[in-house]
Order: sequence, then C-alpha cells, then structure tokens
Amino acid sequence: MNVLTEFFYVFFFTIVAVIFAIVAVILPKLLSPRTSGKKTFTTYECGIEPFGSAWIRYSIAYYLYALIFIAFDVDILYLFPVALSYTRGSAVYEFYSLLIFIIILLLAIIYAWGKGVFQWKRKTP
Amino acid sequence: MERLTDIIALVGEETVRAIAGLIGVLIVVVVNAILLTWAERKVAGHMQRRIGPKEVGPYGLIQPFADTFKLLAKELLVPKDVAKPLYHLAPILIFIPVLVSFIVIPFDAQLQVKDINMGILVILAFSSLSVFSILIAGWGSHNKYSLIGAVRSVAQNIAYEIPLLLSLLAVIFMANSFSLKDIVEAQKGLWFVFYQPIAFLIFFVAGVAETNRTPFDLPEAESELVAGFHTEYSSMQFALFFLAEYTNIFIVSAIATTFFLGGYSGPVLPGIIWFFVKTYGLVFVILWFRWTFPRVRFDQLLNFSWKILIPLSFINLLVTGGILKI
Repeated sequence: MNVLTEFFYVFFFTIVAVIFAIVAVILPKLLSPRTSGKKTFTTYECGIEPFGSAWIRYSIAYYLYALIFIAFDVDILYLFPVALSYTRGSAVYEFYSLLIFIIILLLAIIYAWGKGVFQWKRKTP
Repeated sequence: MERLTDIIALVGEETVRAIAGLIGVLIVVVVNAILLTWAERKVAGHMQRRIGPKEVGPYGLIQPFADTFKLLAKELLVPKDVAKPLYHLAPILIFIPVLVSFIVIPFDAQLQVKDINMGILVILAFSSLSVFSILIAGWGSHNKYSLIGAVRSVAQNIAYEIPLLLSLLAVIFMANSFSLKDIVEAQKGLWFVFYQPIAFLIFFVAGVAETNRTPFDLPEAESELVAGFHTEYSSMQFALFFLAEYTNIFIVSAIATTFFLGGYSGPVLPGIIWFFVKTYGLVFVILWFRWTFPRVRFDQLLNFSWKILIPLSFINLLVTGGILKI
C-alpha cells in the first residue's frame, strides 16, 4: 500500500508534467501569427543552403566513452544497496569486499587508459 | 467494510496532498524560472560593470514576464525536414524530470510533497530522462549543429554521472538512507560538507556539468554550434528547454544543500528560509562560474571526469568506508 501511494505521486506528477508541456506548446499555436515565405521552413545552417543529410558521421571516440560508461553505471548501481547496510555489521569483512570491488572497477579505468580510449587522435589532413 | 472506508479515506487524503503539493511545486518552478532569468542577466551585467535590465519595471523585475509573453506570441516554426514525432516528443520529455524531482526535496521538516524512502533514486532515475530528451531533440531536428550538440551532451552527461553518483554514495554510506529527509536529519550534529569536503566539490563540479552550464556548456557552445541541440526549436518549445535548464540548476543546488549543507536545518530562522538561502547561494555560485571560467576543450572535458574525478571519488569512497569501520 505504502509503495503504491509513492508510485502514485510519481505517476501523477509525470502526467501533469506531460499535460503542462502540451498545453504550453498549444498556446502559442493559438496566439501567434503565421508566416510562410519561400525559405521559412528550411533547416538553419548559418544562412547557406543546407547540403547533404544532417545525420552526419561523428567521431568513434564518443562510442568508446559510452561503452565504458555502461560497464561503470551498472556496477555502481550494485553499491547502492551496499550503502544502506554497510554500517550494520561490525566486522571488517564489508570493508574488504568494498575494497576488492572498487579496485576491480579502478582496473577497468586503468585498462581503458592504457588502451588509449582517453586519447583523441588528431585527424591528419 | 471498515477496511474499505479506511482505504477510501487514505486515498482522499493522499489525493489532496498530491494536488496541494503539485500547486506548490508549480509555483516554485515558475517563480524560480522568473527569478533566475532575471538574476542571470543582472549578475552578468554587474560582473561586467553594466547594470543589466532596468527599463521594464523597478530594477527590471518585470522583464521575465515580458519575455514570457513574447515567447508565447512567437510563431511555432517546425522546419520541414524534422522527424516529427521525435521533434515534438523532446520538449515534453525534458519537462517530466523537472516536476518529478520536486516530490522528494524537503523544503522544511514538514514541507515535502512525499517522503519516498528511495528519494534520491527517484531523482537520479528521472534526471536520466533529460539525456534521452536531448538526444531525441538533436536527432529529430535534422540539423548538423543539433546533432553534434546532442552527441556531445550525451557523452558529457554520462561521463559526469558517475562521479555524481559516487559522491552521493559517500554520503549515503554515512547516513544509511536514501530518503532525503533522513539524510538532513543525520546532519543535525555537523554538516556532511565537513566530513566529505572532497565529495562536495566533486558533486558540485559534476552537477554543473550535468546542467550543461559554463564552463561545461560545450553542447550549446554559441561560438561554434549556434545553440546546440535546441537550434531548431522556437517559441514555447524553446521556452520549455530553458525552463528545464533553469529548474535543473535549482534542483542540483537543492540536492547539494540537502546532502552536504544540512538542508533546512539552521538556527533562529525557520527551516524553509535556511533552505532557500543555502540553495540560492549555490545557484549564485553557478551563475558566477559562467563569468569566471572560459569554456574547456571537449576531450579535456571528458578526460577530466574519467581521469581525475572518477578515480578521486573512488578513493574518497574507499576512505569513507575505511573510516566508518574503525
């Protein structure tokens, strides 16, 4: 029951946010003037005629960053439940578990670093 | 039968609370946006030895209203090449985390829409939605500047999300709770900023980066990308992106206040005043950043997070864990 009411709040606020945004977009449709020149609806490209598709290729570096992020983000999620119960037990057992877990995560960064993920190669002309 | 009436009474009570909370939150969102659009220009002006807006109303205070009406009366231009569903979805999607995050922020000991016991997870989960929104906006606009801006923004947001999570984790290790109210109550003795100065700095830097503010505003770097992912948006759709940006500044400052600066606790004055004083203090620092630091290069920006902030926050977390066990 308690969890349900909490979800109800989140759900309710989400719905209202969507309605608010839709109303905010409809309002200027009613109020604003309309123009239609020859070039009104062309894509903006600093004044020149847009050429080619806008969905261009971009650097592979972004993809590598995204890949290591996924590994990290999932692993860090495991630390959240640990944070809740960390001080409940009195043994040092938890500390060593945390130590091993974090060292393995740090090794991942060192590995990526060594592999040159963090180096952006200058394009040769 | 009695159980049923109980449930109905509870549902009624919760509905009233939700609606009252919603009205309060909407007021905070709108007033905050009005205040920040004004403060941004006023602070910018005074830092450059100008006066900033002064014509519309006393000290230019009516200026934000004038802007709102101007944006309302602007034509909603939809360029002809856009991917229509995605293009229209993005401004709606970016507004969801703005409202939902406010559910769990404690303005005062009693003044909180709902004390969800997974509070911080709600904020973190929903704030990830804004990354989607930016990517969808950039992709759907069918504009080169928008796409490059969106790709940069996503790379930056995911890079800085990890130090952000880790610095919050260090506090959660000490407070043993996800509920924001419990975390404030745990700081009755000494604020966490004194136990966790490094975590505070990391959180604040990562928070500024997450909101795409200068010096981390590469996604919308005016000098090279026009306006980044919202280049093709006009009128109220543009205003929604801006409303979200200004509210996100407030939310980041509010979380920093709650986690590190003792939230609503403080002597003499009522809690809500302390909360707003601390939060707007941090907001001012973020505005100040913009006129102090130049923009950094993009690979430096990403590598600063991966090479410095993340290892540092791991070490900080380990030290915290070690000290808690002594």
